[in-house]
Amino acid sequence: MMPDINAILKIITRSQIWRSVFRQGYPNTDENRSKTIVNSWFLHIHPVKVRKHTLKVSYTWGMGFITFFLFMVLVVTGIYLMFFYAPSIERAYTDIQALETSITFGMLMRNMHRWAAHLMVISVFLHLCRVFFTGGYKRPREFNWVIGVILWVLTLVLSYTGYLLPWDQLAYWAVTVGTNIAGVTPLIGDQVRLILLGAMEAGPDALVRFYALHIALLPGVMTVLIGIHFWRIRKDGGLSNPDEITEDQTEGAA
Amino acid sequence: MSKDPGELFPKDSKKSYGLMELVKGTSPMVDKGPEDTVTSWPHLLILEVLASLGTMVLLLFMSVAWNAPLREFANPDVTENPSKAAWYFLNLQDLLLHMNPALAGVIIPTIVIVILMAIPYIDRSKADISIWFASQKGKAIATFAAVYTTIWLVALVLFDEYIQVKSFISEPEIIPAWIIPIIVISGLTGLLIMIIRRRWNPTKREMMVGLFSAFVTTYVVLLIVTLFFRGLGLHLVWPWNLPPGALPF
Ligand code: HEM
Repeated sequence: MMPDINAILKIITRSQIWRSVFRQGYPNTDENRSKTIVNSWFLHIHPVKVRKHTLKVSYTWGMGFITFFLFMVLVVTGIYLMFFYAPSIERAYTDIQALETSITFGMLMRNMHRWAAHLMVISVFLHLCRVFFTGGYKRPREFNWVIGVILWVLTLVLSYTGYLLPWDQLAYWAVTVGTNIAGVTPLIGDQVRLILLGAMEAGPDALVRFYALHIALLPGVMTVLIGIHFWRIRKDGGLSNPDEITEDQTEGAA
Repeated sequence: MSKDPGELFPKDSKKSYGLMELVKGTSPMVDKGPEDTVTSWPHLLILEVLASLGTMVLLLFMSVAWNAPLREFANPDVTENPSKAAWYFLNLQDLLLHMNPALAGVIIPTIVIVILMAIPYIDRSKADISIWFASQKGKAIATFAAVYTTIWLVALVLFDEYIQVKSFISEPEIIPAWIIPIIVISGLTGLLIMIIRRRWNPTKREMMVGLFSAFVTTYVVLLIVTLFFRGLGLHLVWPWNLPPGALPF
């Protein structure tokens, strides 16, 4: 005899264990829909309700979200790569070769990490452009725009520090050119270059420094800033929308 | 946020009855007027799931189709030719060919970042928030600025390849490395501002739409030039004549 699926589901979803994890029923009423959002650690960053206008793909292109998604892919694939990579001149290059040839999913993870980084550089810039061209930076979102500009620069710097890690010709010369440019900064150039490279030339010290920046410091700062970015979107009343249009008596004042 | 219900459904003092209606809904609407909102579950979340899936599929396709590059072991004695930075910095690398490295690599990027951050404090009107390009006029201005910028950039890149400022004045160094680039950049920006003002009589926001469009165009055009049109010694070539290994990915 076939067991009654619905009866089994009912037993599961009414059990104390299930209900200790999910505190509301299936989200088919407004009450449960709200609870689904606010009771979930993963979802509570969302408002319970959103304006229809802000859901239009033609308004946001979803670019902010896609940027965030790519960042998460980068964290996951990056952690995978860390298991097989050591930032030393002796090992870096051969570790990458091993990833490509002998490590399970090594090649796939490396490719995904690299291409997701490239896509993120593109998507974050498209997001910046959409926010500018729709005037999404206007009051009260001025400071979130400033945080955004920092996020854009951080994205570029994160990509760039990862570029050195394979220790191949591409990496070496990109970093040499890059740090030479930093070296011509008026007044503090030499010091900046020395701090970045840990030596006069790109070598073992530079590799360790770029590694620490790439896997710890910069992603940490990025995570905190993305958190603030999202929190402020909520505090600023969701996304910009036509209801906020006001005539311009305030110009110069306020 | 919460509006006075009396304001949403104004009572007509001449009438002794009120207007009622039965509507379908998922929750009682007490003291609430019609709202332009929907619940995040499922309306927003379904879009997030779709965007995630789409991005993941694209990423998997790319990762199966192309392998990340790995060149020879780093060798300080062998310079790559052409030696290109990561592709997203190639616009800066192109600037380096035309002026002093401190100006191109440090001062201009810093100024760009500072100006970008200052945008919300310069344009403070809320008359056109959430309207793409601010207005129809803004759209025309943005298009014009993009075309104007592309033409000038291509002309300048060609000029510096085949004629060069240095063939007129190379001494003292400060003239070709600093003074002429600064004059050209501010002059062309000023000319753009003048043309936009004359032709469109724009608001502050519309003017900024034009200038931002010029910035994005510069960013993209210079990136493409160095990525696809520079070969040995970073000299101009057609993309199909690029030497092997000239693309940095
Ligand atoms: C790591 C990088 C970033 C992430 C993950 C991110 C994420 C997001 C998300 C998910 C939104 C919601 C709306 C949307 O998707 O358009 C948003 C909105 C916004 N972002 Fe970003 N963003 C990033 C970088 C930036 C940059 C570079 C800027 C601008 C310089 C910026 C400025 C803003 C502003 C002002 C809003 C509010 C827009 C509005 O209300 O219309 N963000 N961001």
